[in-house]
Amino acid sequence: MAKKVLVVDDDPNLVRFLSVALEENGYIPIGAFDGKEGWAKAEAENPDLFFLDVMMPKRTGFTLFKQIRKDERFRNTPVIMLTGVTASLAQQDSASDDTLEQPYGALRESLRKIITEMKEEGVVKPDLFIEKPVDPEDVVEKVRELLGE
Amino acid sequence: MKIRAPIAWKLSSVFLFILVLVLAGTGALGHLIHEYHLLQVVLFAIAVVALTVAMVWFLTNRLLDRPVRQLAEGMRKLGEGDIGFRFPTDRTDDFGHLARAFNQMADKLESSLTEVRETRDYFEGIVESSADVIVTVNPRGYVYTFNRGAEQLLGYERWEVIGRHVEKIFADQGERKTAMELLKDTDNVPNYETHLLTSSGEVREVMLTLTRLRDPDGEPIGTFGIGKDVTEANAMQRRLLHSERFAAIGQALAGLQHALKNMLNAMQGGAYMVKLGLRKDDRPLLEEGWAMVAVAIGNLTAMTTHMLSYVREWKPVLEDVDLAEMIREIEGFFRQTMEDKGVSLSVSIEDGVPSVRCDRRLLHSAVMDIISNAVDACMEKDYPGGETPAIAIRVHSPDAGNSIAVAVKDNGCGMSPEVRANVFAPFFSTKSRLGTGLGLALTSRTIRLHGGEIEVESELNMGSEFRIIVPAGGPVPSKEKPDGQESAGRG
Repeated sequence: MAKKVLVVDDDPNLVRFLSVALEENGYIPIGAFDGKEGWAKAEAENPDLFFLDVMMPKRTGFTLFKQIRKDERFRNTPVIMLTGVTASLAQQDSASDDTLEQPYGALRESLRKIITEMKEEGVVKPDLFIEKPVDPEDVVEKVRELLGE
Repeated sequence: MKIRAPIAWKLSSVFLFILVLVLAGTGALGHLIHEYHLLQVVLFAIAVVALTVAMVWFLTNRLLDRPVRQLAEGMRKLGEGDIGFRFPTDRTDDFGHLARAFNQMADKLESSLTEVRETRDYFEGIVESSADVIVTVNPRGYVYTFNRGAEQLLGYERWEVIGRHVEKIFADQGERKTAMELLKDTDNVPNYETHLLTSSGEVREVMLTLTRLRDPDGEPIGTFGIGKDVTEANAMQRRLLHSERFAAIGQALAGLQHALKNMLNAMQGGAYMVKLGLRKDDRPLLEEGWAMVAVAIGNLTAMTTHMLSYVREWKPVLEDVDLAEMIREIEGFFRQTMEDKGVSLSVSIEDGVPSVRCDRRLLHSAVMDIISNAVDACMEKDYPGGETPAIAIRVHSPDAGNSIAVAVKDNGCGMSPEVRANVFAPFFSTKSRLGTGLGLALTSRTIRLHGGEIEVESELNMGSEFRIIVPAGGPVPSKEKPDGQESAGRG
C-alpha cells in the first residue's frame, strides 16, 4: 500500500512540486500550509513521513515537530525539517557566530534553545534537515531511505 | 649706623650747648679762664665733650637704638619668610609692647599663610595628580604650568615646556589659532577636539576645554586648558562603526541569500515539473512548472529593481499632496482584497488635515507597503475564538498642522523584539515566499528622505502599529543622514 507523506510549508510552490515529485514516485502526498493545518491533517491522515518547514505561521515547524513527537501515534514517524538559512546550525550542536548571518542570530539562538530543550525533554531529534532550495529528486531519494525502501 | 650717629651726635651737641650756656650765664666760664691757663680749660672742655658723647652714645644705644635694630631685624626675617621668628617679651617698656604687638601680627600672618599654603597644596595636588592634561599659558602664549598628566601624555619633562611657547605641543597650528579665536569671543571653549604633539612626534587626539583666566579687574591673565586623551576612544569608536557597517552588510547579504533561496527553490521545483511534463508528455504539468519558474523570475526581477532603487541616490519630486485623498484611494484599492481575506478595515481621517509637500509616488508606495504588511500580519496569525482580523488606519496632525501622521494598526501576529529590531534592515524578511526584505527598508528611507519619522510598536501575537510622521512643509534639505545601514546599502 502506498505510503502517505505530509508536506507542511507556507510556500505553496514547494508544497506543489514536492507533491508532484512524491506522487510520481508512488507516494500519496498531502499538503498543508501552516502549522495548525499541518496538525489537523496529521491527525486526519496518519502520514508515514513528515516534511516540516522551520519558519511558518501559526505554530512554527519546531512546535509542530514537538507536538508530533509527543504523540503516541507519531513517536517513530520520520520527520524531515526544511530550513531556509539555518540547516548547518540546526545540524550542529554549537555553531560559531557568523557575522554574515546576524539578522537571523536571534532565530539561531531560539533554534539552539529549542534543540537543547528537546534534548532535555528526551525528544528524539528530527531525522533529517534539508536546506532550501530543494532538489525534488534528491528529496525523494531521502524519503526512500528513511522509509526503508 | 644710620640711626646711631645722628641721634648720638645731636644729643651730644645739645647737651654741650646747654652746658656752655649755663657756664656762660653764671660767669663761671670767665672765672674758669681767669683762674686756669687756657690750655687747661681746653683740655677740660675736651674731656667733658668726650664724656658727654660716651654717655649719650651709651644711653641711646641702650635705650633706643638696640631695640629698634632688633625690631628691624625681626621685620626683615619675617619678610624673608622666617615665619616662626618671635621677639622675647620680657621688657615692660614701650618696646615690650611693640614686641608683643609684633608677635601677635606674626602669629596671625603665620596662620593665614599656613592656610593659604594648605589650600594651594590641595589644589596643586588635584591638578598635579589629575590624569588629564592641565596646562596654563600666559597672555602671550607661553606655558606657565604643566601638570604630571601633561608630562605623561606628551612625554615632556615640565622644564622642557614651561616658559616655551605653547605652539610647541600643538600638532596643527591652525587648530590652535582657531581655538584662540573662539576663546576671544566667549572666554570658554568646551570640548574642542584637537591634536597634540608628543616629544617623540606622535600625534594624540585630545578633547580640550579652554577657559580664559581674568584678574579681578577683568584683565586677561592667561588661559587655562584641561584636556582628555581620546585617541583610543576615537579609534574604538571608528572600529565599532566599521564593524557595525560590516554587520549591516552581513545582514543585507544574509537577507539577500534568504530571498534568493526562496526564488531558487521555486525555479528548481518548477524546472523539475517542466522536465517531468516533457518526459511524460504532460502538457498541463509542463505549463504549471513553467509558470512557477516564470513567477520566480518575475520576483527576482522585482527584487533587483527594488535593490537598485534602494542603492540609488533619490531625488524626490515634490508637490503638495492631499494625504487624506491619497489614503482614501489606497483604501479603495485594498478594500476588496481585505474583504476576500476576512480582514475588517476602518479608516479615520481628521477634518482639515493639511496637504503635505512630498513626492507623491514615493509616499504612496510607502503607505501601501505598510498596509500590505498589516494584511500579511493578519494572515499569519491564528486568531483565537471571538477575535477577527482587523486593521485601522488613522490620519491626523499631532501638532496643529505642522506635521501629518498616518498610523496603521493591526491585530495580527506581531513581532518578537528580535524581529522588531531588524524590521527596517534591508533584505530582512520573515516571509518565506513573499518578501524581498526590502519593503520596510525602502519605506523607512522614503520617510527619512521627507524629513519624517517612522515608528513601530509591536507585541508578539497581539499586533503591530506603524506610524509615519512627515512634516507638512516637506523635507528640510540634507535631512537624510547616512547611517550604517544606509552607507552599507549604497556602498
